Parts: sequence; structure tokens; C-alpha cells
Amino acid sequence: MPLRYAYHPGNVAHSNAMEVADTMPLAAESLGIELVELEGATSCGAGIIRQANADLQVALNARTLAQAEALGLDIITPCATTAATLHEDLTALRNDSKLMAKTNAVLERNCELSLTGEVNVHHLLHVIVDEVGIEKLAQAVKNPFGFNIAGYYGPNMQQEGACGGDDVFDPDYLERVISAMGGTPVEWSSRTHSVGVPGIFSEENTVLKQTAAVLADAKTEGAELVVSACNLSHMLMDVYQGKAGKVSGEATKVPVIHLTELLAFGFGHYVDRLAQLRTRVMIIGD
Amino acid sequence: MSDAADVSAFLTDGDRSLHILFGSQSGNSEDLAAKIGKKSATYGLEATIHDMDGFDLASLSGMSRVLIVCSTWGEGEQPDNAEDLWQAANSEGAPNLDKTHFSVCALGDTSYEFFCESGKQWDTRFAELGGTRLVDRVDCDVDYEPPAAVWMDSALSHMAAVDGTGAFQSAMVEPIATAIASGGGVGQQTKAAPPSATASAPSVDAGELQEIMEGDRDLHILFGSQSGNAEGLCALIAKKAADYGLVGHVHDMDGFDLASMSGMKRILIACSTWGEGEQPDNAEALYQAATGAGKILTNTHFSVCALGDTSYEFFCQSGKEWDQVLETMGGTRISDRVDCDVDYDSPAATWMAEALSRIACVDDSGTFNDELVEQMAQFAAGDSASGASGDVATVSMPEIQLEASVFRYDADTGQSGMDTWACTIPGHYSIMDLLRSLKATQDGSLTFRDGAENDPTTGVCVNGRLVLPGMTRLCDLVRDKGSGAKLRIEPIAAYDVIRDLVVDYSSYDNLRANSKPWFVGGHREGSYVGKVVIGSMDAVVATELHASNEIASPQLLHAASDSVPYNRSYIGPAMITHLWNRSCDPRISDKSRTAIIECLAATNGIKAETDFASIHRQGNFGANAAKSMLDAKTAVLSHDGYNGRHGKHVWWYTWSIKSSGKVNETTLYRTVLGPMGLLSNALSGVSARMIGGFTRTGRPMFNELLGMVAPPAGIGKMPKQFNSPVANHHEVVSIFNEMDGRF
Repeated sequence: MPLRYAYHPGNVAHSNAMEVADTMPLAAESLGIELVELEGATSCGAGIIRQANADLQVALNARTLAQAEALGLDIITPCATTAATLHEDLTALRNDSKLMAKTNAVLERNCELSLTGEVNVHHLLHVIVDEVGIEKLAQAVKNPFGFNIAGYYGPNMQQEGACGGDDVFDPDYLERVISAMGGTPVEWSSRTHSVGVPGIFSEENTVLKQTAAVLADAKTEGAELVVSACNLSHMLMDVYQGKAGKVSGEATKVPVIHLTELLAFGFGHYVDRLAQLRTRVMIIGD
Repeated sequence: MSDAADVSAFLTDGDRSLHILFGSQSGNSEDLAAKIGKKSATYGLEATIHDMDGFDLASLSGMSRVLIVCSTWGEGEQPDNAEDLWQAANSEGAPNLDKTHFSVCALGDTSYEFFCESGKQWDTRFAELGGTRLVDRVDCDVDYEPPAAVWMDSALSHMAAVDGTGAFQSAMVEPIATAIASGGGVGQQTKAAPPSATASAPSVDAGELQEIMEGDRDLHILFGSQSGNAEGLCALIAKKAADYGLVGHVHDMDGFDLASMSGMKRILIACSTWGEGEQPDNAEALYQAATGAGKILTNTHFSVCALGDTSYEFFCQSGKEWDQVLETMGGTRISDRVDCDVDYDSPAATWMAEALSRIACVDDSGTFNDELVEQMAQFAAGDSASGASGDVATVSMPEIQLEASVFRYDADTGQSGMDTWACTIPGHYSIMDLLRSLKATQDGSLTFRDGAENDPTTGVCVNGRLVLPGMTRLCDLVRDKGSGAKLRIEPIAAYDVIRDLVVDYSSYDNLRANSKPWFVGGHREGSYVGKVVIGSMDAVVATELHASNEIASPQLLHAASDSVPYNRSYIGPAMITHLWNRSCDPRISDKSRTAIIECLAATNGIKAETDFASIHRQGNFGANAAKSMLDAKTAVLSHDGYNGRHGKHVWWYTWSIKSSGKVNETTLYRTVLGPMGLLSNALSGVSARMIGGFTRTGRPMFNELLGMVAPPAGIGKMPKQFNSPVANHHEVVSIFNEMDGRF
């Protein structure tokens, strides 16, 4: 009996992180997860839209949630920001009957949809550990990783109620996944720290120092590779890592990949990209 | 056997243990269990409260009195902490309970099909195992307190009627209930009755204190509090008051009825000082009213504890003002005011002991009996020494094994690292208890800020969680971790470390001083309250303001931001929350509100926060602060007309969602960063990495080849300039048009 979910690709899988769009379906298939595309889903707002209009973000996300409800499915996403933002807005709607009624009125007028709040939102990581199971994950691995891998959670999904059965402050789901994939998980304290994604355009100097601190911590603890459960944070740790190193003076050069890539490569998809990654692990560093 | 003496003898004879088990999901059952435990002392029972999680089922067979409080979860399921015990109770090894008397309080919600199912199951199972049900189970709906209170009185009367040998004496139920209802019982004798009836204070002459212990023994304790210290102190005073035969009533000055003071014989005040000698927010209105109230305290004795900070010019000014105004109102100072600095615990404790000893000697007529003060002090000390002052029952938790790693730093040598100890320690111990224990038994040089459990300056970081160590139980941090539990205790990150876990708060103090979050009131409408006019405020607004200002530790909240360590000029979440709450206060002047918005809009204000998520996840205090910060940022961006990088980012991000339903990063880069920002990214390699997909494994072969070499890589995939719209995109546009016509 396959696990079926309504699939929300997150905020950047369509553009800056196409590798997520490439690898998520293959990883899901290998894990026995059936993805049903939510073709009408919008960006979750990433906490940005609500800075202009909080009710507007709630309404847009309610529309996405209602679409999944109409399918009778929970939502799965590889994007930590999307998982957390949808969860936060869903919780607000569940806890505030007036907000729910007001939002449903907007949905009914504009989309002929309504939300009951029965839908749930899950990050891929939590579905793997809580639903699929680590044993089944380990059985699916064809190309085990032999690296020291630092798992990055970020702060978004490490919220009460938003991280499955994992601990908000002392999580270990990523480490369990890394071990099952044949890697050696690195113990490091910055794994839930923010790299400051929402501020990259406006507070670049601070954000680059935050990013550098996270990468430097991973490297100091022996990481040869960082795997990120947060697609937005990945952008900073990847494309901005050189600039972060220059600004902070810290050692930041380390390959960073998405969780979906780790899974897909380990399951035997894109062997060429895995070969490429192995090369990068060997040559990239400070 | 029905007179008071016989009842009293019965309630003190033999084993008087009562065991209260709670199965709780949201905490209601645990709270109720604590209330039962507290009240049980009145019935001469010695209560032990047990979390069902980890409870030894076999021990039930030796218990003659057991009360169960259990909620129901989901579709009639046991709460998480009760599940294991429930399984054990239904196993073959379940004990025989033929010596056990029990009763069950079931908590539930009638909107669910399996209402109170868990409680019903326990009730049935205890009977099946041979237990004797003394009082019928009560099934409580969401508003559980009234029926639970009725059940509690009945259950305790019946449990108290189980004698010292474990036999139920039905004839004693009525006399016990009557004795309790008329003010008798063991616990109340211990607390408020004359010393002659108090076994714990045998050295006190009963006759002399007897008279003043009769009649009105109310003590009214008012707090004017900004950070919560004064409020916490008042709660402690109220608890200690029982040792002096007083009944403490704690009052928030906010909303307090000034006219009611005239009927009070005993008043203690603890008040902090704010800003440049100002009254705390919750005290301002009452103080203004009091200054014009006239001599309404002619039959009142009082004393004042002033909290302050000697680094400010007007040290303890508010407390001094209260001390003066109470005297002006005709009150009699029973004990000199104490002025406490930041480290207030010790002087406040000394003042409290003296003030309580003296004010407890004010009798029912309002007359102070100076000659009894010394005896009263002895009485209270004897009472305390016997342990009777601990009127909150202990919640016992099983011992847990854990590995505690504590950050160490020696400024003299510059060396730092982690020291690790393996510990076996009761689960209900706090982090502070653990640290004290390590210091006492393992390493006397271990340094941390010790203090009251709610001392806001004691904060540490435990496994990434910011906590006040005195208020955080070990079992709550290592739940579900089994015997391999690890604790990593570190100093909070936003501050410089002085030694080990002690950090230097001066950076925060400087930011606070520079932000000038002082209250500057404006003119507003007033209402007659008693004989005076005081400013009025909408009750909902007042409640919201009070709740949003409830910050247990501003220093800890300051550290919740992951931006603070990398931008030391940033005023931080505690200050922003405080300023924003000030700006929402209808009492402040327009000029002050404008100044606050300007402070928030400055480069080191709300815009300097890079990510609310790290704050939001720090429990309720973080979530509340994040909400205030979001509101503040929305106000500031709107005030700036969505100009500048912060405004443009929000504006164009939102705009791009309306355009296609998806984020368009290309638009953001172009519109927000502008030419200089793009040039910076081009020169620093960011653009090259973005285009080429540096560590990322893009699809084009060219990109894959380039990925084989060290950065910067060459040309690879390009973010889409124009997104394809989501399905039914017109719905998105329609929602935007209805809800926000600006976009």
C-alpha cells in the first residue's frame, strides 16, 4: 500500500533549485511514496508576504491546503520553509475560528474551495522516519555514501508540532537518515541555526556571517559534505559560500546538497551526478 | 467519635499517605493533581503526586489511598504518559489491589465520541484488580474545574476516613467533612490556627499568640512589576505568609481598586522602578490615583520592598514614592523600606522575614502588638523548619541517567572546552539543581549564575534550547531519550562569556539604555474610581498589553535571535518587542510613539533581524515575541512606503506571487539589489555560482563537466526569467484583488 501525498515542491524547485525537482520524484518512488502534484499550489510566502499582509498569506496558504484536502491527501514537501509556513498558518486557522470563517469566505468567493483543517503538512524528512521507516530506507540504498556528512535542519521546521516525532531542539532524524544512507553523521551545534535567508537581500553582511558560521562549524567538526533539509538555506550555503568566507574570514568551502539529492543518488539514480559529487568532495575545501 | 478533637486525632494517626496519579496530555490533569495534593494536607493526608510515566505499577499494592486524574486523548486513547502504565495494568503481572481504596476523576471533551474513555478504563481496571471504589468516578467536560472541585472534596473526605492501618471508617466521612467545612482539619491548624494546636512549633507560648491569630488574618500584597521580578517576589511572600498565620492575597496594581485599600489592615508592596525613575506600566495608574486619594489608610500597616538598579540615577524611585504616598494616605509603616539592587534576593529575603514577623502581629482590630514580634518570628521559624511551609506537594519523578556536558571557559588561561559527567538524578530536578549538584560534588570551580528559579539573569542554553535553569525540569529535556540521554549545557550565545556559563549582560544593558524604552504618558480620557479620577483603558487592550509584556527573561529573549551574535549594534528581539508593545500602549504620548517607531525603523532596529524563525521556535515566549516583531516590521515597512531593500524585498516578493503564484528570484535580484548589488555579486562569484550551479548537479552536460573543476564554475542553468503560472492562477489574482489592492 503506497503512501500517497499531495506534493508541494516548495519555493525554489522551479527555478534556483531545479535539482530538487529532478530528484524528489525519484527519491519518492524508491521509497514507495506516491506524489500527487498540487498544480495550483502557490509559494507559501516564506514569511515574506505576511510582512506586507498577514491575512493575505494565510488566505493563499489556505487555498493550497484546501486543494490538498479536496484530494483527501496530506501535503508533503522537501522545503523546510514551506513545511513550516503551511503548518504555522494551518495551526493559526485551526485555533482561530473567526480567522477560519473569514478565510473560508474568501476561498469560497474566489476559488469555490473551503478548508476544514483536517489536512496535515509534512516535510519529506519526517515522512521518511515516521512513515516509511529507517529500515526500509536502508534497504533501498544502492550506492552508500562513505563521507562525513553534516545534516542541516535550519530553524524553520524545528518548531513545536512541525517536525514530526523529532525533537525541536535536539533533532536526530537527519543523522539517522545519513547513517542509513551509508554516511557518517557529524555532530555539530549549528545544525538548527538560521543562516538568515529572509535577510539576504537586505542585511547581506549579517547574513553572510551567519552562513559562514554555520559552514565553518560543519567543517570544524569534520564534515566533508553538508546535506540540507532546507532548500532556501541551501542557496545561501551553496552560491554564497565563497562570499561568506571572504566577509567572515572563515573556512567555508564545502559541497552542499539537498536532502532529495542525497536520497536519489544513494538509491542509484543519477549515477553521473553522484560521481561528480564524489569528485567535488575530494577537491573542494579551503 | 465526632468531636473536633477526635477528628484531629484520627487525622494524625498512623499512615496518612495519599498517592495521586496523573495521566496528562495538555497539563490539566497534572495541574489538578497538584491542587489535590495541596488541599489534601487540610485532610491530614501526606500526598505524593506521581506522573504515570515511569510509575512502578507493583508499588500500587502497598498503597491504601490512591486518586487518579486522567485525561483522554484523540479517539478515546490514553494520554502519552499513561500509555505504558495502562499496558502494564492490563498485563498478567498486574498487582492485586485488595488493600487499595481509590477514586477516579476523568477529564474529557463531550464533543468527542469517546468522552472520558481513559478515566473510565482506569476506574474499571482498578475495580477488576480488587480495589475498593470509595467515591464514584466523575466525568468532567472541558470546563472541568467545578465538577472536579466537588469530586475532590468528596474524595478527600473519604480518603481521609481511611485510618492509619488502611481500613476505611465510613463513620468518619461526615465528621471529617464537617470539620473541614467549619475551618478545622490538620492542614489549616498547621497554617493558621494558634500555636497550641501546632505540633511543629512546640516552643512557642500558645497563649500569647492565640489572640492575634484570630479574626481577620488577610495580608494584601501588591506588585508593581515590569520584568516580573516584583511579581515573583510577591508570590513568594504570599507563600511564606502562611508560616505567620496570615492569608496572603497577591494583587496586580494594574486594575486594582484603590478604594478597597481602606478596609485592609495589612499591606506589603513590592515595586520595581523603570527607566528614569518611573513607575512600572502596571503601577502608573494606581500610583497617580493614590497621590490624590486622601487619608484612607488610617487603620492600615504597611511596608515596601523597592527593586531597582544602582546604575540608574533614580535608584528604587518608584518604591520610595509608594513608601511616601502610603504614609501620606495615613498608613503606618510597620517595617522600614528596603531598597534592593539587581541582585535583590538576599536583601528582599531579610526584609520579608522582618516585615512578615511584624505585620503578622497586627491583630484583628488593626492594632500592632510589638511585644509579640519575637515570638512570631520563632513561631514561623519552627513552622518552616518542620517543613510545613512547603504547601505545594512534590511531584516525584523516577531517577534518570544522563551524560551532562558543561561548557567551561577560563578567562585567565583563555582555555575552553566541555567537561562531561555521567549522572543519575531524579527527573523532577531542575537544571539548576543539576548544576548545584555538580558544583557541590564534582567541581567547586564550576561557575554559573545561581539565583531564584525565575531569576531572568540565570539563563543558559541546553541542547539548543534557551531556558531559565531553575524552571526547567530534567525529565522535560530528556524525554524519550532513554538511558542514553545527553545534556549539553552552554552559555547563551548573544553575550561575551565571563567564565564557564556566566555571560556579560552589559551589551544588552547598553542597547536598552540607548533605545530609551521609557514610558512617557500622554493625556487621555479618565474615569471616576472611588473618589479620584484615573485614566481608563479598554479591558481587552489592557489584557493584551499585559500578556505581551510578560517576558520571563528579556536577556534570554535577546539571545533567541540568531542574528544578534553577528550584528552587535542590533537592539534585538527583547527590545523590539518591548518598544513595539510601548507603541501599542494607548497611554503613551504621540511624541513618544513617533520616537519609538523611528527607533524601530533605524538600521539597528527591526530591519536588522534576518530571520524570525529562530525566535519563533523558542516556546511561547519566542512565538509571542516573533508575532510582535512581525507586526512591528509591517508597521515600519508601511511607514517607509516599502522603499529601501527591506521594503522592496517584501513588495516584489509579494508582487511576484500575484503574477504567477511562484517566487521570481530574477525579479527580486534585479529590483531589490539594484545595479551595485548585482555588480557585487558578479565580482564575488555569487552570480557565477548561481548561473553555473557550483556544487549543484544541473542537467546540461556542459554544466556537469564544469562541475568537475573547482569554483567558480562556468555557464550552466539560468533561473527562469518568467515563471509559468500555477494552475487556476486567476484564483490567486482574485484573492489578491479582494484582500490587498496595493499589489
